[in-house]
Amino acid sequence: MHTFAYARPTLLAEAVALLEAHGPDARLLAGGTDLIIRLRDGSARPGVVIDIKRIAELRPSIREEAGCLVIGAGTVMTDIAADERVRRSYPALAEAAAVVGSVQIRNRATLAGNVCNASPAADTAPALLVHAARVVAVGPAGTRRIPIDGFFVRSGVTTLARGEIVTAIELPPPDRAMGAVHLRRTRRRGHDLASVTLCCGVDATGVTRIAYGSVGPRPVLAVDESGVLADPTAPGAAKEAIFERLFADASPSPRSMRASPDYRLAMLRVLGARALRIAIDRLAQA
Amino acid sequence: MSESAAAFQIELTVNGHRRAIEVAVHHTLLDVLRDDLGLTGAKECCLVGECGACTVILDGRTVDSCLVLAVEADGSEITTVEGLADERGLGPLQQAFLDKGAVQCGFCIPGQLLSAHALLADNPHPSLPEIQEGLAGNLCRCGCYRQITDAVLATAERAER
Amino acid sequence: MSATRIGASPNRVGGIDRVTGRNEYAADIRLPGVLEARLVALDCARARIISIDASEALRVPGVRLVMTAADLPQPVPRFGPQFEDRPVIAVGETKYHGEPVAIVAAETKDAAEAAAGLVHVEYEELPAVFTLAAALDSAAPLVQEPALRPNDRLASTNVLREHRIGWGDVDAALADVVVENRYTFPMVTHFAIEPHAFMAAPDGDGIAVWSTIQHPNWLQKVIAKVLGLPLSKVRVFAPDPGGGFGGKQHAKLEPLVAFAALRTGRPVRLVLSLEESFQAARRASCEVRVRTGVNRDGALVFEDIAADYLIGAYADIADRVVGKGSYPAAGPYNVPSVRILARSVLSHTVPSTAFRGFGNPQVNWAVESNLDEAARAIGMDRLAIRLRNLAKKGDAFIPFDTPADGDWRQAVERAAELIAWDTPLPPGHGRGLAVGIKSGPTTGLSYSTVRLLGDGSVIVLAGTSDMGQGARTVFAQIAAQELGAPLDWVTVVMGDTAIVPYDQQTSASRSTVLMGNSVLQACRSIQGQLAAMAARLHGLDEAQVIVDQGVVHLPDRDLSVLDVLTRGLGRLGGELTGNGEVRKEADPSHPLSGAAAFFEFNCTAVEAEVDEETGDIVIVKHVTVSDVGKALNPLQVTMQDEGAAIQGLGHTLMEHYIYDEKGRIRNLGAIDYRIPTSMDLPLELLSEAVENEDGPGPYGSKGMSEGALLCVASAVGAAVRDATGVAIRDLPLTPERVWRALRDRPMP
Repeated sequence: MHTFAYARPTLLAEAVALLEAHGPDARLLAGGTDLIIRLRDGSARPGVVIDIKRIAELRPSIREEAGCLVIGAGTVMTDIAADERVRRSYPALAEAAAVVGSVQIRNRATLAGNVCNASPAADTAPALLVHAARVVAVGPAGTRRIPIDGFFVRSGVTTLARGEIVTAIELPPPDRAMGAVHLRRTRRRGHDLASVTLCCGVDATGVTRIAYGSVGPRPVLAVDESGVLADPTAPGAAKEAIFERLFADASPSPRSMRASPDYRLAMLRVLGARALRIAIDRLAQA
Repeated sequence: MSESAAAFQIELTVNGHRRAIEVAVHHTLLDVLRDDLGLTGAKECCLVGECGACTVILDGRTVDSCLVLAVEADGSEITTVEGLADERGLGPLQQAFLDKGAVQCGFCIPGQLLSAHALLADNPHPSLPEIQEGLAGNLCRCGCYRQITDAVLATAERAER
Repeated sequence: MSATRIGASPNRVGGIDRVTGRNEYAADIRLPGVLEARLVALDCARARIISIDASEALRVPGVRLVMTAADLPQPVPRFGPQFEDRPVIAVGETKYHGEPVAIVAAETKDAAEAAAGLVHVEYEELPAVFTLAAALDSAAPLVQEPALRPNDRLASTNVLREHRIGWGDVDAALADVVVENRYTFPMVTHFAIEPHAFMAAPDGDGIAVWSTIQHPNWLQKVIAKVLGLPLSKVRVFAPDPGGGFGGKQHAKLEPLVAFAALRTGRPVRLVLSLEESFQAARRASCEVRVRTGVNRDGALVFEDIAADYLIGAYADIADRVVGKGSYPAAGPYNVPSVRILARSVLSHTVPSTAFRGFGNPQVNWAVESNLDEAARAIGMDRLAIRLRNLAKKGDAFIPFDTPADGDWRQAVERAAELIAWDTPLPPGHGRGLAVGIKSGPTTGLSYSTVRLLGDGSVIVLAGTSDMGQGARTVFAQIAAQELGAPLDWVTVVMGDTAIVPYDQQTSASRSTVLMGNSVLQACRSIQGQLAAMAARLHGLDEAQVIVDQGVVHLPDRDLSVLDVLTRGLGRLGGELTGNGEVRKEADPSHPLSGAAAFFEFNCTAVEAEVDEETGDIVIVKHVTVSDVGKALNPLQVTMQDEGAAIQGLGHTLMEHYIYDEKGRIRNLGAIDYRIPTSMDLPLELLSEAVENEDGPGPYGSKGMSEGALLCVASAVGAAVRDATGVAIRDLPLTPERVWRALRDRPMP
């Protein structure tokens, strides 16, 4: 691993100032489960690594604010997967957090880090899209809230501006009852990168939100407001037509060695149908 | 305020002993345990957080020490496999690993033991799927998985409910 | 009898060190003044090296050496267990991705790594072959210089050797039904959790070498030859490997590290990354065409098998793998006519080598799967066709080899019973059953020394490597049994060629049989000395004294070994020493240079559930039954069988190298090369051993560490075929491959 300058700010403002000063030459270090691999293999060669774990404002926390559930940037997957409020109101997010890597990875990896890496295969992204999460970012110009669907650009690229740091992920109040589930495809049952990762949420008004990743350059959100998908009595052909529309943005890379495009596209449909059934069941039980 | 230097003075409590040490900022906790502190129980294998051979317990939770910079661990408490036995002898998990035949070549065993230790600390009476899930981040190529989970189950059964 | 002796399962010898982190693996050893080494390799498989500029690397503070082929004796020494074709470092041309062109040694790992990145190599990429089809093309570039194989008609091709075995007359044989299919087996790698590690240090007027090697005495010979030293000046330390599985049998980079140590006058250590270990050893992929002739009554008429194994850029032991692995390809059956042609085909890929099963799993996958097809073609039950043709004990099922040495039917019937072969299955489930056979060691030489010390404790010196199979424990149990010492009073010393007598190798599941017999012989020699002592002390004839299992029986009473020993040794004390020598000479007239010391026999039966929408396979139940002769340590037998079964599930379900167009392994390392985790186990895993005490090893034991891997793929594939009606003939059975096969199946 090449060497670098290591900064360990304790105040958010210091981190913002460092990030603004160094721009792309700086990398934020939260859990490190992606960054340290990249530092070692040389695909990231920052001059400055800014460790954000000692910043008071970013300490691990899951708190309720104005009806929202706010997950602090330092919060790790283990704590998200175990949190009663997340499990109750955003179960798909808890399920997604519970399958990110192994226990050791989940003990370090943060939700904010997972989001900021903007990996198309990020398992938490579909759940955040279905739940219409917002990314809270603080930068030189102050604080702004970015709807998660407007955050991802492509692998490794987000709409964060220079000097901006994600401080939290906000989940809006679960004002309408929703049944939601996260499903994925992997090459083995033990931990693995997903070849398809998908979340489906059906709410009490009949709206179905499906988000999926690992089938294109960024995770995709698609919504069916017609109520057809959520209606167990709707004809199969009608549902299939809607699924085709919802999955139209999937464009898996033929270069990937994890799965071929045709398999991913087929599995997207299998997972979509399975997730829809589970989501409807969960809504009924809610 | 922040600090920034190629070398960094840190303090670790390793297996109950406080250690003050200067580390290079780009050295991982695994590097420092093995090369600077001479604790070679944590093993080096994949270096991408997949195999778990380098697992240690950091402030009560297992981590892949190949994916933690030593400077990140400043001020932390660390348990390595060397800290699992005491002067009275092997801990119950260690003995169960031997009794159940969980050890073949032994290279993955330090990591397996620490994952099992942390699992039981969190969940003293886990089910078989919980054990399999809890130890999935520790690869064993000798394929002792059944014996390892047997050892964890046996240890849990002997613990008070 | 003590619970630590034969037939019991005491805690593993060396186990305490393994659960406390105290066990020193090769990479854990710290020598003062050691230099850390890193390799320099190119970003493609085959290239002509135009120039290597080390000047910038040498300016990195702390760098002590950058060594290339130009710095070695000329011509650069070559080595290899079968053909001496592998240079110490790439000479003029690299032949596979990862082959080092330079080695850097520095005071720190950081300096070595930085400098390795600053060695500038100018090279020209050359055409290369990575597949059987490309390697066998008549216009293919040659992997090996023809000059290395003078007078060999195949030297102008990429076929290293052809192995032909057979009996009867396949062409004349008439069968009611002939079933022909083509099967493939992927390139897979050992993935021992301990990557290979090497260290060398000048040692007086010789050299000391530390390695994760399985065969320290082989390595000693290689180092002595390339350095031009007598064997006595080469000391090899072989700490217990952290998993070997065959990948650590033969020398890899030890000669290079030895030259680096001599050149710097310092200890030099090279610990490979997992990625570099992937580039150091793998199993040969294989394509097998098999024609099975069978009569309507189920009698096998012939097997006609052609297997092409894709080996790597250097031979290592790969050609022996091809010859010996394909040899019993027709299986443990009485087949009147058999023709086997196996070819080892060179390619610009990682040199393939021994891997648990030694070339057998590849052909087993084809021949056992095809036997299922033959059974279906004649409407016969798949278990019944196996029982119909299975060799009975004493049958010369391979006419010129050791006759069937076990009641193999017992294992097959037990496996069928445990899998409930004839009972109904839920929809989506299927069953498969397969048998595997492997020829044990064909030659062998194992010396041992046992020392009964003055207090009754014992030191066993045995050159086997304990890489997890548990050889230390078994040898200690034998000594404890024979000499009456408690197990924890027995020390087993291995892995130091200056102290431990010669052992040919740790491979082919040989050690319990060959070294075990050697240790037993050494103990019996001590028993003889004890008998003489007792006779002298008690004024008896030696023939009147019997020493057995640690007890000295006199005509009128029994004495303990310690009692006789103490009085017999007298005031000066001392010890008794016994030597063992087990020798299985080569037979030049035999196609494998020797008949099998024993056969490993296993029957595996599987129930699998297939998710037809996703292609997922769940192994609902996995039964493995091995004929082991006698389980000297039943727990270790279970561990070996279950471990082999799980390793077999790896190449069956998920493992394979994926190469790119430049011959680079795309899934290099642990992220995209998947092996089974604790969550990938069969829902139920049952292992049993058949024990008829009919093996050639101590107490009737046989070698057994590979059997349970041999036919895993065949059994799983058969279960998938049973569940879905679709035969998939390529491994691994990834969800995508299963899904694709189901999607493409012809509509009924």
